[in-house]
Amino acid sequence: MNRTAAVLSVLVSSAALAQQPVIEISGANFRPMPLAVAPPMAQDDAARAAAVEFDSALVFDMTACGLFQVLDRKSFLADAKEGVTAASITFSNWSNVGAESLIKTQLAADGDNLRADLRLFSVAAGKEELKVSETWTGREPRRLAHKLANAVYKYFTKEPGPFESRITFVRKVAGGKDVYLADWDGKHAVPVATGNINVLPTVMPGGGGVAFTSYRRGKPDLYAQRVGGEPTVLSATGRMTSGVAYSPDGSRIAYSVADAENAELYVAKADGSGPVKVTDTKFFLNSSPSWSPDGKKLAFVSNRAGSPQIYVMNADGSDVKRLTFQGNYNTTPAWSPKGDLIAFTARDERNAFDLFTVNVTNGKITRLTQDAKGNEEPSFAPNGRLILFVSTRSGGKQLFVMTHEGNNPVALPMDKGEYTTPDWGR
Amino acid sequence: MTASAVESLLRPRKSPVLPFVAASVVAHVGLTVGFLLVSALLAGPRVDLDAKPIKASLVRLGKKRDDKLLPRKEEPAPPPPSKAEPAPTPAAAPDTAVKVPTKDAKPEKPSKDAKADAKDSKSKLFDALNKTSRAASAEELEGDPDGDANGDSAKQEGERYYALLSNAVRRRYDVSDTISEAERKALRAEVAIKLGPAGELLDVGLSHASGNELFDGAVVAAVKKAAPFGPPPEHLREQLRKQGVVFAFTP
Repeated sequence: MNRTAAVLSVLVSSAALAQQPVIEISGANFRPMPLAVAPPMAQDDAARAAAVEFDSALVFDMTACGLFQVLDRKSFLADAKEGVTAASITFSNWSNVGAESLIKTQLAADGDNLRADLRLFSVAAGKEELKVSETWTGREPRRLAHKLANAVYKYFTKEPGPFESRITFVRKVAGGKDVYLADWDGKHAVPVATGNINVLPTVMPGGGGVAFTSYRRGKPDLYAQRVGGEPTVLSATGRMTSGVAYSPDGSRIAYSVADAENAELYVAKADGSGPVKVTDTKFFLNSSPSWSPDGKKLAFVSNRAGSPQIYVMNADGSDVKRLTFQGNYNTTPAWSPKGDLIAFTARDERNAFDLFTVNVTNGKITRLTQDAKGNEEPSFAPNGRLILFVSTRSGGKQLFVMTHEGNNPVALPMDKGEYTTPDWGR
Repeated sequence: MTASAVESLLRPRKSPVLPFVAASVVAHVGLTVGFLLVSALLAGPRVDLDAKPIKASLVRLGKKRDDKLLPRKEEPAPPPPSKAEPAPTPAAAPDTAVKVPTKDAKPEKPSKDAKADAKDSKSKLFDALNKTSRAASAEELEGDPDGDANGDSAKQEGERYYALLSNAVRRRYDVSDTISEAERKALRAEVAIKLGPAGELLDVGLSHASGNELFDGAVVAAVKKAAPFGPPPEHLREQLRKQGVVFAFTP
């Protein structure tokens, strides 16, 4: 973790001998907490069948969320049959492998359902800190694991965890591009819009469907479609309409309409009615709108100053401000749900595509990725702590998550394929 | 005696030197006053001859990165060269047998192996050349040209020891990322310690808790991990043993 900007000051009040000198220390090195996740204890055959998926989802959530350093099980010293209560755990075995926290889980079939108990222990204190029990209708071990992982996340951060949120992305198939809706880890991926070329998807409010741009009628138009439902047209102007984004309250959409050498942003009601043009720059392009969390502003890309740069403006088009002044190719802005940062893709002087954030208040730019092949198309988790993006670091275009500071990049455990333009539902 | 009689040379008369002496005195006084005034106006800080000298070092780090370019992350320092000791190989018994030329003996031809060796050494040479050319094209370090890599190491002798304590603790000041950012702002904890003559911990305890167990645990652990410290200077020993010192931690 690169927090070397440690501010150190030594204030020694040695003049007053009666008093103790005080040494001020700041610049803590915030680092992931070493966490041991013991293999789940299955109570019966049905639970044993579900245990592998349950375990894999729980370990992935804990690993990818960036808060923990999940310890390798090969190093564990504890007996595999060790109990799940504080009294039956030999905590020295866990502290000896470096664990500060320990998770133990039990799985059992409950009629047609699956029940899981999770206990979280502080290893140093040797006591149970959290106990959660959840039942999932039907046997969905991964989703059950996500639910429990959210409880652990909330225990530590006091914020809701992102593990039950939904993502959408485009997958390249023979002869076209399909839009999928999936769990946050890319599992349970369901094709929503298939046939022809469907791109630039965004999760509909509530997570039950997607809005996307499709070339099914030749020119790109906007559609919305629920899982298993029929597509509805949001905008079909006969011009090139693309890149829809829902306002955080789900009441409005923003998108871009392009002619030959000009593209303008429009804001309309969520069903596509009442479109209003909010940019007006003849001969220039305005695209990729992203809403601020309060729904009052839009971040977007414009080349009005010569090169594509990130701008912000009020949602009615007033008060346009340029936000990026470094680099000459800055695109795909994504406004953090926390409001303070906008993540974007930039091409740097080495012609590498990498991810950056810009602070909305002071314009400070921070690099998130470097020297790891191409990295593009960021999208924030609902809690603003994680970023989903496309990277070619392990070969083809794959989806990754990392912290909003650029730490702990982890590939989503998805089938082989070429994935692009992910969007994380809020 | 006529009026035209020549005046005696011995007649007392006014000396012409006096005005010159006066002018000289005025000029000297003027110059002295002027010099004092100028030096008083342009005087630098008073030099305290009892103070210890301050050693400052200014190091040029490289050319400044163009403001218009996107920032780059700091390159991590190259890992120290691993000093892997070569595994001890059992010494081969020296070949003491002397080859006696016989009738059938033919002059030894360079074997295939020898050819392969030649190839190997060639490729090794090219590798080495490649490496040097790569090293030569290494990027120029970027940074602030007025930067100061070492900082100025101004520390009075007494303070030097406190700086040592501070650095040792700060290096081990690891805190869990699970503490939320909102909570981090309000955190402050104090750890009081007492030190023995060799810098060993005699006593350590949380003298002011932050209210966050993770943070409190982390700061106490940082101090414990940093100990033992080096032996304190003579004049501080008594104080460190009896009153001790307090570390005040903020994130």
